[in-house]
Amino acid sequence: MSGLGRAGAAALRGATRLVPADRRDWVEAVWAEAAEAPPGLRRLAWRAGGVRLIAREAVVVRRIGGTLLFAVAAVAAGRAAWPGSPATVFTPAARVNVITTVLLLAGLPLLARWFLGPPDTRPARWLRLGCYATLLALLPVVNAVEQFSYTPPRGSAELRVYLLVADPSHRSPGGAGIVVLVVIGLYLAAILWMTSPRSGIAPATLVAGASAGIAFGLVMYTVAPLGLSQDATNPWLPGSDVDPLMVLAWLMLFSCPVVASVIADRRYTAASGSPVPAGDRIRQTVTAALLTSMTGALFAGGAGFATTLAMVREAWLRDWLYHGQHLLYGVQNLSADLRTLPAIAYSHEITGSVDTGVFFAMLIIFPVMTAALNVWVALSVASGDTAAGHGDQRPGGGGPPGPEPAPDLPDGGRSAVTDDYAGLAAGVPGPREPGPREPGQRTEQDQLVGIPR
Amino acid sequence: MSDRSGFSAQTLAVLAALCAQQSQWCHGYALARQTGLKSGTLYPILIRLADRGLVEACWQDEPQPGRPRRHLYRLTADGLAVAAAALAGAAEPAAKPGTRAARPTSGAVAQAVQQ
Repeated sequence: MSGLGRAGAAALRGATRLVPADRRDWVEAVWAEAAEAPPGLRRLAWRAGGVRLIAREAVVVRRIGGTLLFAVAAVAAGRAAWPGSPATVFTPAARVNVITTVLLLAGLPLLARWFLGPPDTRPARWLRLGCYATLLALLPVVNAVEQFSYTPPRGSAELRVYLLVADPSHRSPGGAGIVVLVVIGLYLAAILWMTSPRSGIAPATLVAGASAGIAFGLVMYTVAPLGLSQDATNPWLPGSDVDPLMVLAWLMLFSCPVVASVIADRRYTAASGSPVPAGDRIRQTVTAALLTSMTGALFAGGAGFATTLAMVREAWLRDWLYHGQHLLYGVQNLSADLRTLPAIAYSHEITGSVDTGVFFAMLIIFPVMTAALNVWVALSVASGDTAAGHGDQRPGGGGPPGPEPAPDLPDGGRSAVTDDYAGLAAGVPGPREPGPREPGQRTEQDQLVGIPR
Repeated sequence: MSDRSGFSAQTLAVLAALCAQQSQWCHGYALARQTGLKSGTLYPILIRLADRGLVEACWQDEPQPGRPRRHLYRLTADGLAVAAAALAGAAEPAAKPGTRAARPTSGAVAQAVQQ
C-alpha cells in the first residue's frame, strides 16, 4: 500500500470516531472486509460504502452540516435583507428585524433541542427545514417590500399617489416590524414544538397537515397573489367575490384543516392498532388542522410577498398583473393632468406593497380561525360521534384488519419501492411483532404513532 | 418493490443468503457477493436487522494471520422464523395462478423462492 493509501485508510479509520459508539463495530467491519475485496476499483467501491455508512450514522456530521448550512443561509438572507440607502423610516425596524430573526432562528432550535429533543423522524426534519427556508427567504422579501412602501417617490404625481395610498403618518413602521417578529417567532415556536419528539405528534399527522396546507396555500395564492384587496385584480380572475376560484379558496380555508384532521386521526388510530386515549387523538387532530392553516398562510403569504416585490422591480410583471384597464384609488383622486402613465404604474406598485399587510393578517387570523373551528372537530373525533371519527377501525371499514400501512420510517429508512439499491438500503420495515421490550424503550411503532417516551 | 411482509427486495436477498447458511456465521463480503449488494447497501440492512433482533453479530475469535478480525453474522431464532415467513410470502404471488409474478431483483431471492 502506498503512503497515500495508508494515509487515506488512517483517515477513514479516524472518521469512524464520528459514529456513535454503539455503531462503530459496523463501520470497522466494513474496513475489515475491505481486505477481502480485490484490489483496485472494487476495493475502492467497498470502502466508499464504508464512507456512506459513516455519513449515514454520524449524527455529529449531520449536525455540523446542518449548522453550516444554516449559517450560510442566514448570512445570505441577512445580507439581502439588510436595508441599504436611502434610509427610510422603516430602516431601523428592518435592521432590528434582521438581527432578531436570525437570533430567533439560531437560538430557538437550540432551546427546543435541550428541552424537547431533536426531531427524530424524516417528516419532522423536512418540516423544520422547510419552515427555516421559508422564514429566511421571507425576511429579505418582507424588508424590501416594506422599504419600498416607506420610500417617498420623486415625481410630483407619484408623490400625490404615495401620500394618498401609503401616507406614512398613518402607519407605524415600528408596529410593522413588531408584527413581522411576532409572526416569525410564533410560527417558529409552533413548528419546533410540533416536530419535537416530546410533542408526541405522529409523522403521519405532520405529513397530512403540511400537504393539505400547501394545497390550500396554492389556491389561496392563486386567488390573491397581491393580497385580498379588490383594488388589485388578478389577471386570471374577473375580480369578483363570487368567482368560482374565490369560492373554492374560502371553502378550502375551512375544509382543508378538517380534512387534514380526519386523515391524521385515521392514520393515528390505524397505526396504533389499539384504542388510544382521546387526549392523544385530539392533540393529533388539532395539530394537523393548525399545521394546515399555518402552512397554507405561510405559502400564500410568502408567495404573495415575493410576487409583490417582483412586480415592483419588474415592469413586465406589473403590466401583466394589471392590464391597465382600471385606475387605482390614488390615481382616481388625481386631477386629469396628473393621471400620467408613470403615476398609474406607481399606483399599482404602491397599492400592492401596502396591501401585503393582508398577508400578515392571514398568517395570524387563519390559524386562530382554524383553532376555533377545530375545537368542535376535535371534540367530535374524541367522542367518536362524527363521521370524522372512525374509532379504532382501519381505513376501508369492516372486515379483518389488513396489513399495516407503510408510513415513512423515522430513521430515514424507505420501504423499497424502487429497484435502486441505495434507495432501498435502509428499507427494513419488517415484522410487526416488536418482541420483548426494555422498560422505557420506544419501538419504531411507538415513534410512528407518536407515543411519547 | 416491497413484498407483503414489508421487506425490501434487498433485505429479502440478505435474509435468503443468511437462511441458506442456517446457523453458520457469515461475513459481510460473502454476503455481498451472494446478494450482489454493495457495502453501502448491505451494512445498513444488517444494522437494522440486528436492531430488530433478527440477526446477531460477533467478532471473529481467531483471525487469520495477516488479516484483520472479521465481523460475523447469522440469523437468530426469531430471525429464522421471520425470514422463512417473509420468503414464503415473497413466493406466494409467483405461485398463485393467474397473477403476474413479481420481478425478482436479486438472484438470491429468486433462488430462495425456488427452493
